[in-house]
Amino acid sequence: MGTIITVTSGKGGVGKTTTSAAFSTALALRGFKTCVIDFDVGLRNLDLIMGCERRVVFDFINVINGEARLHQALIKDKRVDNLFILPTSQTRDKDALTREGVEKVLEELRKEFDYIVCDSPAGIEKGSLMALYFADHAVVVTNPEVSSVRDSDRILGMLASRSRRAELRMEPVIQHLLLTRYDPERVERGEMLKVDDVLEILAIPLLGVIPESQAVLRASNVGMPVTLDEKSNAGLAYLDACARFLGEEVEHRFTKAEKKGLFGRLLRRSA
Amino acid sequence: MSIFNFFRSPKKTSAEQAKERLQIVMAHARVGRSTGPDFLPMLQQELLAVIAKYVDLDQNKVEVKLDKGEDCSTLEVNIELPVPGEGTAKVVPVKPVAKPEARPEAKPGEPAKAAAKPDDKKEAKADDKKAEAKADVKPEAKMGAAGRA
Repeated sequence: MGTIITVTSGKGGVGKTTTSAAFSTALALRGFKTCVIDFDVGLRNLDLIMGCERRVVFDFINVINGEARLHQALIKDKRVDNLFILPTSQTRDKDALTREGVEKVLEELRKEFDYIVCDSPAGIEKGSLMALYFADHAVVVTNPEVSSVRDSDRILGMLASRSRRAELRMEPVIQHLLLTRYDPERVERGEMLKVDDVLEILAIPLLGVIPESQAVLRASNVGMPVTLDEKSNAGLAYLDACARFLGEEVEHRFTKAEKKGLFGRLLRRSA
Repeated sequence: MSIFNFFRSPKKTSAEQAKERLQIVMAHARVGRSTGPDFLPMLQQELLAVIAKYVDLDQNKVEVKLDKGEDCSTLEVNIELPVPGEGTAKVVPVKPVAKPEARPEAKPGEPAKAAAKPDDKKEAKADDKKAEAKADVKPEAKMGAAGRA
């Protein structure tokens, strides 16, 4: 039986889709059969980030409505074995997501995949509630910034009260904090919340810290999960986060500012 | 960090201000959530009603707080009693109420002061300006399930 991981945040623009793409790729690279689903109905973007936008024929909503079979809608990644993408509809709205429909599709995926990664839309409305409802794990993507931290707290509340596990009084959804767009230099200057500050406020285990990196935009430009850019700090940080998720002990990297020599300071190069 | 800090003004960095602001705003947001079916206002009303039977009290001088610890929660009730002489005070130990779910509908607007005025002077301990009742509440399974303190 597969495990459902929901990537959520409350706030928009913090890196949910980037994370969903990178994290699912990392899981697949580890040999786990992984499917990543776009829950952002009407604002489909995962296909672009994964670079499969021209291969979309049927989508998640078609499968829910019985207009297509699951295997017709699943897109196999061309670079990584074991990785599949289930895109969403660009023309429908969130009301197309019914709990029964989503459950049916997820149950079918569970039989076949080790991990099902759900890319949640922003907000706390139907789309994001549907994305977190069936979660076994939740990766809460947070930026070291006040509005993002507050929204993450709100989402943690939703996970504790509105998820299926909460409603059925099962073991609670396992929560992980993923701090993204972290800039150690600004932290050292006192301009950005520290990892420890955010941990103290949100009080959930830290899965990883993804440094602010130009590689993320470069990767999205070409439709490649950043994990596949092995030279980038962000890609490595996602691989580390995945290893921690799988129970390995990996030390946190990229949380301290690199010491730059005079030359480096003059050139101001960043990853 | 260095000698430069010595000359810097002691003003908080913007990151420190961010943390403080978040802690304040989120402490408020969590009061409603962490106590489950937010029973604190109702608890406060009922406690007031009971205490008002015996003591003439100022409603603004009552504070009810629920703190969550690792393995037990504390229900703290702070009641400031009026100055001796003005009203007679009979301090009654307050027993904590620990079952939020078995609570009847409350009327929030209802004044908590009961009609009964204390005239029983035998037990009056008027020397206490402030009485504090603290009680430990073992967390009920349900309260614990709220999870996040």
